[in-house]
Amino acid sequence: MNHGFQAAFAIAKKDIVTQMRKKFEAFSMFLFALIAVLAFSFAIVTQGSIPEEIGSAMLWVIIFFMGMFGFAPIFLSESETGTLPGLATAPIPAWSVYLGKVIYGFTLMGIVEIFLVPIVSVLFGFSILNDIPLALATLIIGTLDLAAVGSMASALTMPSESKATVFPLVYFPTATSGLMLLIEITKIIVIGPGLISVLLIFEILIAHLVAMLTLSASVFHFALSS
Amino acid sequence: MPKNRLIFLGVTAAVSLLYVYMTWIFAPPDVNLGELVRIFFQHVAPALVAYGAFGGTLVCGIMYLWKGDLKYDILGAASLKIGLLFTTITLLSGMMWADATWGVYWNWDPRETTTLILWVAYACVLAYRASISDREARAQFGSIFGIIGFPMVILSYISIQIWDTLHPQVITGSGLEMAAEHGMTLMVSMIAVIMIALILIDFTYYIDSAQEKIHRIRMARS
Repeated sequence: MNHGFQAAFAIAKKDIVTQMRKKFEAFSMFLFALIAVLAFSFAIVTQGSIPEEIGSAMLWVIIFFMGMFGFAPIFLSESETGTLPGLATAPIPAWSVYLGKVIYGFTLMGIVEIFLVPIVSVLFGFSILNDIPLALATLIIGTLDLAAVGSMASALTMPSESKATVFPLVYFPTATSGLMLLIEITKIIVIGPGLISVLLIFEILIAHLVAMLTLSASVFHFALSS
Repeated sequence: MPKNRLIFLGVTAAVSLLYVYMTWIFAPPDVNLGELVRIFFQHVAPALVAYGAFGGTLVCGIMYLWKGDLKYDILGAASLKIGLLFTTITLLSGMMWADATWGVYWNWDPRETTTLILWVAYACVLAYRASISDREARAQFGSIFGIIGFPMVILSYISIQIWDTLHPQVITGSGLEMAAEHGMTLMVSMIAVIMIALILIDFTYYIDSAQEKIHRIRMARS
């Protein structure tokens, strides 16, 4: 078990170091997010402002779409550099490869979100500081959930002939369930407690993350063996 | 056609006739919904059967990954297609009901929206499967997608407990919240729709298996 976790962290470290050398991927994601903010502003700004609940919902929609840039190349880059067979035949459990990629995806998205979230909240005029612990927990669990889905979606594109087209086909439907919960929780943080208990939705989000991680980790060796 | 299949078809036809009779003649108008309650029976049963069919895709996916037998993949894909068909019926009957009750076909109710997302999600699984030409890879990866897509079914089912909704919650922990006649009609509609779905899945499985055999023969000849 420990060996598996060590391998997962080693894979994540390798990907993060490679990413730090390239730099452009994280920067491209950040620029894409800013462009998305500006594009959405044309649709949702009325009389110089945006309703708080719409602005906060847009934050997750932008992060969701940004995930396309971050997660799609996770396994594609391994395939292009010819290192995928190495990962598949390495004497480590398959789930550790998946977990390593999830940690990498989470770190990459997290780095961009550190800059993105304050900018989006200022431009869209909402604050998630009403409940800082819940806001932080939501950002961490939400990003982890998207990374769990995105990494699996990236692996699922491998056998397809049109990988770039297929990634959204896999990522969007599997990530949408988590996205809906994230939007609802963030709305409640921004506009205050509503009729629905935020903790109930947060528990469902955690259950979703656990389900995605365990389902994906348990079937990942089938994906890697192909 | 085998005798068992013929008997099953006959029983399904009889139960379906009973379903039509109970829906349109036996069930009295509802206190609140009036005659519109008849749409309810065409709406709830297909919805629950669609969830069941997607559950079938999940189970077949697990079985394929476990046993490696292609018949589970073909059965899972057949279940997926029929699930999509019944989700379409659910959405259309729901739209008819919404128009008659609230005056609009679509009002972004959480159950409505999550059901449409469910339809799109499983349509994506079909499109994804079509994008893989290698048969073994299609079965393997299609099974995985069918498994990790299932949480959306659960979210669609529990959506009315998470968000404010216009959907009445008729099936609760304490049983069915409706008149006895309506409960009986719902039960018959469930049985009839399940039997129809099973026939359709069997039929689709039969055709897809035959196509698979033809494809293999062609591949062997070339």
